[in-house]
Amino acid sequence: MPKPRRKRLLPRSSRRPLWQSAILYLIVIVWCFIVLFPFYWLVTTSVKRPIDVSRGPNYIPYVDFDPIPDHWQEMFGSQRESTLRHFRNSLIAAAGSTLLSVIIGAMAGYGLSRFRYYWGRLGWDNDNIAFWIISQRFLPPAIFIVPFVLLYNQFGLIDTYAGLILAYTMFNIPFAVWIMRDFFNGLPIDLEESARVDGATRWQAFYRIVLPLSAPGLVVVAIFSFIFAWNEYLFALMLSNFNAITMPVLIAGQNNTRGIEWWFISALTLTAVAPVIIIGLLLERFITRGLTAGAIKG
Amino acid sequence: MQSISTVREDRLMKRVFLSPAVVILFALSVFPLIWSLGISFTDMQRGGSTIARQAEAEGITEGVGFLGMGFELTGRNYQRLIGDTRLHSTVRNTMIYVFFGVTIQYVVGLGLATVLNQPFHGRNLVRVIFLMPMMITPVAAAYTGRMFFDSNALRSPLAHFLRQLSKTLQLEQTILVPWFTDINWAPIAILLIDAWQWIPFMTLILLAGMQSIPEDIYEAARVDGANILQIFWRITLPILFPISMTVILIRGLEIFKIIDVIVVTTGGGPGSATESLTLYIFEQALSNGNYGYASAIAYILLILVIIFASVFLAVGRRWSSSWER
Repeated sequence: MPKPRRKRLLPRSSRRPLWQSAILYLIVIVWCFIVLFPFYWLVTTSVKRPIDVSRGPNYIPYVDFDPIPDHWQEMFGSQRESTLRHFRNSLIAAAGSTLLSVIIGAMAGYGLSRFRYYWGRLGWDNDNIAFWIISQRFLPPAIFIVPFVLLYNQFGLIDTYAGLILAYTMFNIPFAVWIMRDFFNGLPIDLEESARVDGATRWQAFYRIVLPLSAPGLVVVAIFSFIFAWNEYLFALMLSNFNAITMPVLIAGQNNTRGIEWWFISALTLTAVAPVIIIGLLLERFITRGLTAGAIKG
Repeated sequence: MQSISTVREDRLMKRVFLSPAVVILFALSVFPLIWSLGISFTDMQRGGSTIARQAEAEGITEGVGFLGMGFELTGRNYQRLIGDTRLHSTVRNTMIYVFFGVTIQYVVGLGLATVLNQPFHGRNLVRVIFLMPMMITPVAAAYTGRMFFDSNALRSPLAHFLRQLSKTLQLEQTILVPWFTDINWAPIAILLIDAWQWIPFMTLILLAGMQSIPEDIYEAARVDGANILQIFWRITLPILFPISMTVILIRGLEIFKIIDVIVVTTGGGPGSATESLTLYIFEQALSNGNYGYASAIAYILLILVIIFASVFLAVGRRWSSSWER
């Protein structure tokens, strides 16, 4: 999908009066402040002494308070084991489900884009199937609480990586299929056909030709699957009790186990959001594309 | 022209491609959905049902309950819904979150998109900044919100700001908002945290929609002497209508699922003033172990979601056809 060139309402040498520009920049700056200030507050709180947190509010390091690295040292020192373990749990659950979602989503998306299906009993064709798949994305997860607990208990999946990966894959598949189908629909079929004429099997054509061409779509799906699984709270809480606890559950639990140690929670929260923020900064284009593809075409 | 072997191969591959997704969705989505409908008509609880426990206590091992399955079929869960005042308040809270959440986020998001649609320096940077809140886990947003809405002016920058403001304005009383402890303010704090996270989502999508509107249309309107407001009402909004419906629907359905922000900030309190349906279902299922009743409530939630989506789509269709006329 080539990106259409952005159109400007006004040429760069705008005929905009100065006061309009002023208001425009004011609104932009105010909103950026609203967005960024909480992050700033997390960063500063994570290097404040407890007294500076409770006897404040202190805003500017070195002016209002003296920053200390203690909480970060504690997190990667005495708490190192716990921090790393939960971080690794999140990573495994997110990466595992991302991998599965991308593979399964690409396969189903390709199928729905290139073959004609007809589910006789339901009278469903490709469009019906695709719509059914995407509609799964919007079911309230609360409805799965009881059956998942029972099912997972039955199969010994509670508190395992496999359990979390499976659940997140289920939640990610609808979006993955939807995006990939859309992507393959926009991909010319000629290349595959000429490969097939040259004797490649369907699978080879898919694997060697179609997949490499659809890298941008795969990246979009991977990013969204990863972020969803990384951030998810309800199922992580419900399906884990010790070994597989992920970062969001760890953070939410700080409330009870340690009292409210804002400085420590801030450091932990920053550690938990760092990977997704980095993804966001590096892959902004893909994310914007995924958001708009999901919403505008859907 | 395809040879018979490739046709046969294709018939097989067709299944191979689609099956994994369909199998997973059937096993982990369709089946649980039907199963929990069944559970909602039983007295199932954690560790068996009341009847099975009774039987165990009496030393009976076989043939207990419905078809010997150890539980009893009952409509009691659905009867219980009617008199459960806590459920009623969670339904009301959830509707409030959905309605006001969507409204705030759409209106502010649309305003910001209109602003960002003007050319200005640093627009790409602003877009990246806008992505940040929606990338992070709601748990993190909620904790940050909790620090921010703390009513202790020694801790919270917001409370501190309000105190300074009242001093500057020489008010008799300091403005002090009991964000999380007052039954009226607590839902507002939660709405604001959710809005902080998701207004940028609305903005970015509406912005993308605005940028796909061809310049000629605006040019023609300007030639006809339309002013900025008229252009916005008569051109931009109607063209954005389908996208608007989609984002509002997506956000609405997402807000129906809200739980993490509430757990971290108020835990559902004070009383059950901020409790959402998802949180209540979670509590009934995992804290109380009432599997049957939790499933019945979950079905109420599902029905609400379906009603919301269908009413929304029906109204949207009618509006868009009246607009075309």
